[in-house]
Amino acid sequence: MKKKPNAKSQMPKTVAALGLLLSAMPIDFTLTDEQKELQKLARRFAREQIAPVAAEYDRKEEVPWGLVEKLHAVGLLNAIIPEAYGGLGLGMLEEVIIGEELAWGCMGIYTIPMASDLGITPILLAGTHEQKQRFFKKLTEKPALAAFALSEPGNGSDAAALRTRAVRDGDHYVLNGTKTWISNGGEAETVVVFATVAPELRHKGVVALVVEKGTPGFKANKLHGKMGQRASGTYELVFEDCRVPVENRLGQEGDGFKIAMQTLDKTRIPVAAGSLGVARRALEEATRYAKEREAFGKPIAEFQAIQFKLAEMLMGLETARTYTYYAAWLVDTHQPHAHAAAIAKAYASEMAFEAANQAIQIHGGYGYMHEYPVEKLLRDVKLNQIYEGTNEIQRLIIARHILKG
Amino acid sequence: MKFVAVIRQVPDGESRLKIEGGKVDLGGVTMILDQMDEWAVEEVIRLQEKHGGESVVVALGPERFEEAIRTALAMGIDRAIHLVAEGYLDPISQAEALAEVIRAEAPTLVFTGGQQADWDSQALGPALAEALSWPVVSWTTQIELEGETQARAKHDLDEGAEVVRVALPAVFTSQQGLNEPRYPTLPGIMKAKRKELKKVPVSASSKVEILEQTIQEKSRLNKMIDGKDPVAAAHELVRLLHEEAKVI
Repeated sequence: MKKKPNAKSQMPKTVAALGLLLSAMPIDFTLTDEQKELQKLARRFAREQIAPVAAEYDRKEEVPWGLVEKLHAVGLLNAIIPEAYGGLGLGMLEEVIIGEELAWGCMGIYTIPMASDLGITPILLAGTHEQKQRFFKKLTEKPALAAFALSEPGNGSDAAALRTRAVRDGDHYVLNGTKTWISNGGEAETVVVFATVAPELRHKGVVALVVEKGTPGFKANKLHGKMGQRASGTYELVFEDCRVPVENRLGQEGDGFKIAMQTLDKTRIPVAAGSLGVARRALEEATRYAKEREAFGKPIAEFQAIQFKLAEMLMGLETARTYTYYAAWLVDTHQPHAHAAAIAKAYASEMAFEAANQAIQIHGGYGYMHEYPVEKLLRDVKLNQIYEGTNEIQRLIIARHILKG
Repeated sequence: MKFVAVIRQVPDGESRLKIEGGKVDLGGVTMILDQMDEWAVEEVIRLQEKHGGESVVVALGPERFEEAIRTALAMGIDRAIHLVAEGYLDPISQAEALAEVIRAEAPTLVFTGGQQADWDSQALGPALAEALSWPVVSWTTQIELEGETQARAKHDLDEGAEVVRVALPAVFTSQQGLNEPRYPTLPGIMKAKRKELKKVPVSASSKVEILEQTIQEKSRLNKMIDGKDPVAAAHELVRLLHEEAKVI
């Protein structure tokens, strides 16, 4: 908030002091020129490149690799990698701004760069300078993706119960086990795999290993039949006596669980950003349809039943966006952010699911058909309530934050 | 060599304009780099990539133009000059103010949009050439330099096209088909912040004053084609689009 220059001069001392306090208030909702520019770029990219092909890739259940190449060409891929390692060093707020725009075009397609950032973050958090140089080079010099492999067929929310084994053998770890629901798992140049050196130690036995594409004993099988987000590739990863060099270990043995949790505390915020994009799209589609569609001799937008739905959608969108920006600001200003990331992720994904649901309702029968884009919004955003920690796990994190004091 | 693009910021064609008190109200309207100027910017960058030298954008308009200037810089233009003038200025007065700066820059050539989307006018390019006493090639779809003193260009006419050879410096205006503009890249956006943007206040007065603005409203023809015979309906639709709407 800016004050008029001379407003203070005739005030009594205490009011003037209050004025001084107000002008020093470190809250400002203005985006920088640079942020506005990158928002414009991402918005245009989503409108011209993503939205027109979203339905096609959803139908084909295929990864649009041409789009991944285009994202790389304009600098929107793996942009959180620091400048020193060939990236752009984008902050969380920038990531959120871009995420909303890309997800407006297609949440499934946005999951591709988003899950790549998820695969980059553990290396950013726990990698040595040498590891960052080695792995990030592969992810910046050409269109390439990263992935993060934590979930297994037998465990998801209970991450410490993982069963993929890592056995030390000289200067290698020998990996055996199966990971599942791994976004980008088959395309990724680098996959951060969480395994255990001692299952009985639970989270204290977890090690994080970077497995490179093409490592013998590492196989990725694409999973088919997803309800939504079908343009993003989801894989089962199988490790059979897969030898990973010790120099690919992030941190120490036993650090893996902490690295995974710290990663998710950050990357849940882009999931919230994606939900904002879906909700905004739902509101825009519903608004347009409500103005065009007539019933009882007038556009349905003139009925309060419809108006209230639109109003609810905007209330949800604006509050979720403001809170998501806040969570991003906490990250960018190096403050504790685990609970805020959990609130943003759960709140925004539930808000967006409801917005997509109401957008279908406003469209009536047409909303239930593939011909209109709203049914896909619902199918896509359902996953935002599940991946990177179910919304039930988010509530656990939030409750622990409340009760720990 | 030095290549200059003259650019403007205009309302996005997709936004809805309102009239408030006899004037177009731009509040809440998304403003963008004029698409035809974007072709000019792209062509100037391509000429620089091919022949080396420097690329410069020059813009005359209110403070808000800076956003469009930043877009051009993010696309790859080296530096910018912003002649800051609030309020309406007719194309001839604009051309005179721009000519002064451009003459001092002494570029190899100047490129600008074939048409200004906001005034729906095609005046700025030719008026600029007039003010500079340089030749003009309008509606350019192809350009090739032949050394530093002449260029070969193809440009559209009403019912066709012609290829011309023109002495440089000259002013070229853009036409659809000239190029496919690149996206400003993220690294480009970040670099743009550090590029030179010189602001020059302009105090020219307009020779034309706008008294009142209205928005043209077209009533729809509401033609319905009987669809009982789909083949006949398709023929009728093609005939109407060709003969009446003249869009195909």
